[in-house]
Amino acid sequence: MNILTRLLLELQEMSLLAARAARGIFKKPRYVPETLAQMDSVGVGSLTIIILTGFFTGGVLSLQTYQTLASYGATDQLGYLVSISLVRELGPVLCALMVTGRVVSAISAELGSMVVSEQVDAMRALGTDPIRKLVAPRMIALLVTLPLLTLIADVMGITGGWVVSTFLFGLPSSTFLNSVRDGITTDDIIGGIIKPLVFAFLMGTIACHKGLKTEGGTVGVGRSTTSAVVTASIIVIIADFILARALQLILGTQP
Amino acid sequence: MMTQTSIDRPDEQGPDLQVSHEAAESTFREVDDSERAIPAIEFRDVTMIFDGRKILNNLSFKVMKGETKIILGGSGCGKSTTIKLVLGLLKPDSGQILVDGEDITNYGEAEMMKVRKKIGMIFQEGALFDSLSVYENVAFKLHEQGVPEADVENEVRRMLRFVNLEEAIDKMPSELSGGMRRRVGIARALVGDPKIVMFDEPTAGLDPPTARTICELAMKLRDLEDVSSIFVTHEMNNLDYLCSEYAVVNEAGEVVYEIEGEKLCLINSKVLMMRDGQVIFSGTDETLRKADDKYIQKFLRGH
Repeated sequence: MNILTRLLLELQEMSLLAARAARGIFKKPRYVPETLAQMDSVGVGSLTIIILTGFFTGGVLSLQTYQTLASYGATDQLGYLVSISLVRELGPVLCALMVTGRVVSAISAELGSMVVSEQVDAMRALGTDPIRKLVAPRMIALLVTLPLLTLIADVMGITGGWVVSTFLFGLPSSTFLNSVRDGITTDDIIGGIIKPLVFAFLMGTIACHKGLKTEGGTVGVGRSTTSAVVTASIIVIIADFILARALQLILGTQP
Repeated sequence: MMTQTSIDRPDEQGPDLQVSHEAAESTFREVDDSERAIPAIEFRDVTMIFDGRKILNNLSFKVMKGETKIILGGSGCGKSTTIKLVLGLLKPDSGQILVDGEDITNYGEAEMMKVRKKIGMIFQEGALFDSLSVYENVAFKLHEQGVPEADVENEVRRMLRFVNLEEAIDKMPSELSGGMRRRVGIARALVGDPKIVMFDEPTAGLDPPTARTICELAMKLRDLEDVSSIFVTHEMNNLDYLCSEYAVVNEAGEVVYEIEGEKLCLINSKVLMMRDGQVIFSGTDETLRKADDKYIQKFLRGH
């Protein structure tokens, strides 16, 4: 099989997996406890890294751009610059990448080990569909928590930017916060929610697909985990570009 | 107790009849039953190709009701593939697979789920769910079906008693030894009293007494529960146990194992030997031991 055929095959398998998982959401049995447990592990579990990432990213944005803005005499626009960069781009992307590192790897490794130790086969033999029991709860957990985590990252980032501008550069609090308020539009916020939803869907599909396709014992688990993280990271970045352009056209934020 | 329910057949003749008469009636009733003429499992010219290599090559065999088919063969000869095909975990490239006379070859996942309900599968290493306790593992099927918790507990305890592991009910799989994991796997597979059970090398890597315990469980299922099974193995002592001993309940109500020949001749255990995805022998253990084939003799003697 050449690379193109393999790529198409993989794409087809992922689409089928996503479709079957989606069907699983609307049919009984529903796995509510499993979904809640996954939300706890994906969402609450990632809170610390997201708060830290958001805060310091916002801080460093302030730190690096303040001098440039000062040379144009535009330091009152600092809040605008920090918040727009965060809400539109850095919040969703960094959040997705951090969650990819923490959650996509975990999902893929967990499902992978279940495959190699025949637990997935055992589940099927016991009459339970692994896609409903294992894939759907993880997908839902990602779809629900990633937008929330992104929002938290945005807020923490703006806080980080404000802390640096106020305490390091002595910019008045009101100047920074006013420019934040004036800068962000509803369209930015809508875009900032659509992006993590799409990312979550892609990340969940890749993680579960790679995990369930694991072959070749423990070495295989390592291989599929690496592959899941690398693929998900790259896809997130590529999807971000496509989404950014699509949102510009749909929402008409830029020509 | 499981053993008692199956031995004391439901009393359909009325309580005033004599016990021996009842037993005779039930025996004849079963023999006359035309259902029993339909094989529990049947393979018709099943071929399976993986990465250009024929894993199974025109494999055909039958497992009758109440029969244990011991599949012998070296590693990679297609033994495990065979039982995964019965459960529809894999699909053949050609040929037909029938379970209870029902052609399952082209069944989709949803239809297969119904077939799987009547089959119990015991995996090589137990395949217990790591994140669930022994109780939750055994209760898995019942929890999925939404059975009330009180009934679940009764059933789980009954199953764990059957494999002599009731004391391990609250343990996690990581705290169990290899043999215990296998036995929990058996308990989990037997929930719902399936009439067809698959054993995938259940004694591999176990010490001889534990391996014997597993074989005794298989004999108990065969002789006292009327279970049809496929027992995949490459260990010769498994063959010795399963083909020369049978389980009976003595007067004290205990399950004991007797050697064939003293009172009864064992006819419900057959051997199938595979090599490179093909059947090279099919018959009883006595004829297997007399076979001229060099490979079979080497396999039996180990050199």
